[in-house]
Amino acid sequence: MTPPPELPTLTDDSEDDENLKLKERPSISIRMTIAISYALFFLLCVAITISSFWTISILEDKIKFLEITDNYLVEIQQARRFEKNYLLYGTNLDDALEHLTNAKKILSANSKTIKKIMGEKIFQSNSDYMQKYHDQLLKLGGEKKTGKIDDIVPLLRQYGGEMVSSAEEFVKKERGSVARMLMMAKRVPFYFISGLLVLIMIFVIYLTQNLMVTLKRFMDYTKRIGEGDFSPIVPAKKFKDEFTKLAEAFNTMIRELNHKHSILLESHKLRAIGTLVAGVAHELNNPLNNTLLTAEMLKEDLTVLSDTEKIEMIDDMINETVRSQVIVKGLLDFARESETTIKPLKIEKIVSEAIRLVANQVKMAMVKLKTNFEDNLPGIYGDEQLLKQVFVNLIINALDVLPPGGEVCVDIHKNKNSDFVVVEVEDNGPGIPEHIQSRIFEPFFTTKGQSKGTGLGLSVSKGIIRKLGGYMHLKRSSESGTIFMVSLPAIESPSEMMSKK
Amino acid sequence: MSKSLEVLLLDDEPIVGRRLKPALDKIGCHVEIFENPIEAVARIDEKEFDIVVTDIRMEKMNGMQVFEHVKKKWPRTKVIIITGYAKMELAREAMEKGIFDFIAKPFRPDDLRQIIARAAQALGTPIDLTLIKD
Ligand SMILES: Nc1ncnc2c1ncn2[C@@H]1O[C@H](COP(=O)(O)OP(=O)(O)O)[C@@H](O)[C@H]1O
Ligand SMILES: [Mg+2]
Repeated sequence: MTPPPELPTLTDDSEDDENLKLKERPSISIRMTIAISYALFFLLCVAITISSFWTISILEDKIKFLEITDNYLVEIQQARRFEKNYLLYGTNLDDALEHLTNAKKILSANSKTIKKIMGEKIFQSNSDYMQKYHDQLLKLGGEKKTGKIDDIVPLLRQYGGEMVSSAEEFVKKERGSVARMLMMAKRVPFYFISGLLVLIMIFVIYLTQNLMVTLKRFMDYTKRIGEGDFSPIVPAKKFKDEFTKLAEAFNTMIRELNHKHSILLESHKLRAIGTLVAGVAHELNNPLNNTLLTAEMLKEDLTVLSDTEKIEMIDDMINETVRSQVIVKGLLDFARESETTIKPLKIEKIVSEAIRLVANQVKMAMVKLKTNFEDNLPGIYGDEQLLKQVFVNLIINALDVLPPGGEVCVDIHKNKNSDFVVVEVEDNGPGIPEHIQSRIFEPFFTTKGQSKGTGLGLSVSKGIIRKLGGYMHLKRSSESGTIFMVSLPAIESPSEMMSKK
Repeated sequence: MSKSLEVLLLDDEPIVGRRLKPALDKIGCHVEIFENPIEAVARIDEKEFDIVVTDIRMEKMNGMQVFEHVKKKWPRTKVIIITGYAKMELAREAMEKGIFDFIAKPFRPDDLRQIIARAAQALGTPIDLTLIKD
């Protein structure tokens, strides 16, 4: 056996629990979300500034260093020029040595930076060549007198060439790196800005989505409340934000509305009782009349009647008294003020009792009432009195518009596609004009005039059905008649329902 | 008593007919009882009754419709209507239309016998109510 489903409570106290639960949630307000996002954007901007500053300062160093490397190259080239001049014209060799020493100084002064750019190995071979060239140059100076320059010159040329091309290579490499850095410095802000744009877009989309979805949910709440469903709101989010406050305010409003609504419900019920009392009073006259006639005739003919005839008459009186009692009890059950108690019910039994309550109105209106109940209907959860009120309302509405000879048909069936039991109240009356169809469920909407209608029947009925997790709507209305449809969630299979009873 | 008074009694409560038939027999009426207004109207078409007593509230057809039918077919026939309540303006309106009298439920057999006696008087065939006081 499955436990009863979670039913919306009709009492007030549980709603405080809901509000309490709301208050306990961690708070992430919309204001805070926006503030955090702004802080993030600000940090990003600072990062952009710092990074461009950093790139520029590196560039500055690089450009400075480029000057040094240029000098280095020039010194080496000068050294070679003086060496060649010496060999060709016999000019002073010391100039070449001086330039080479300058180049060596530059190299050793910036060894760290250069090593970083060229790598240890190349730097080493570079300074090796320079050293070898230097050695050969010194040798050249020494061998001037001996004339053994022929051995030295090729070596001098080889090392000198290596030395120059290596220096050229290094300068080229350094220029390339500066160019690359410049390129990057140009692009970095662009990348950052596109990144920022994407971030902003994501943030805006998130925020609007979030707001839109929540607003839509609140719109649905108002619709639900308008239809008389006064169960409290429990927001879907796991944390607190500004909407949580709104939800709390809604819940307070719902509680107030629920209270007012219960008063309305009571006043409508009184009205319905008033209508039924007239009918029931008439109905009572029949068994009373039967009893009175029988008693009078029994007295009159006491001596002439046979025993069987007497017994038959006494039985008639007993039966008619019981009949009176049933009629009175039906009205009392309906009128009795009682706590709303939701329990498993048989819908066909509730509808039959409602029909019995209005039987007199039906008779007076000279209307035919037909029923068509499916077999093996599942049970439903509900409050007997409230549900009876719904069906009494629907039938009396039909009687109000039907001419003598009209027909009301009450049909109960199980919806094949869902776990709902459906009650349809159909009449072949004049129908509801299309332009008022959307308004008939509004409280106080009536076309019957102040003295006859309250305009509460349909609104109160819909509220009752919504509270039970069901639906009530106008299925169809045309000149050939009107069908109102009430669907209530079925409990379970009919066999389980039977075993419970 | 020269000739018995022909009475048709129509009420969809069967006990009404069962109790009133012997009550009216005693004052010299010949009573035919009906529970179904359609059958009753069919019988009225066949036979001229002196008095028709009908309940006002029935399914299919009400007492007023039965009265209209009788009035058209047999203008001389007196119609007495049984109501569930005594509503003055309805009574006045009905009297103007030509209904002989009203009787409200619950009533005693004697109440109806009184009215029938007056109707018989009006028809020119008075009956003696003291007959039952034996
Ligand atoms: N079966 C029906 N046929 C035609 N109109 C109907 C029917 N049921 C309801 N209505 C319309 O809906 C209005 C609202 O009904 P309700 O809420 O029960 O209030 P009330 O019956 O007091 O007017 C009625 O005044 C009537 O115009
Ligand atoms: Mg109504």
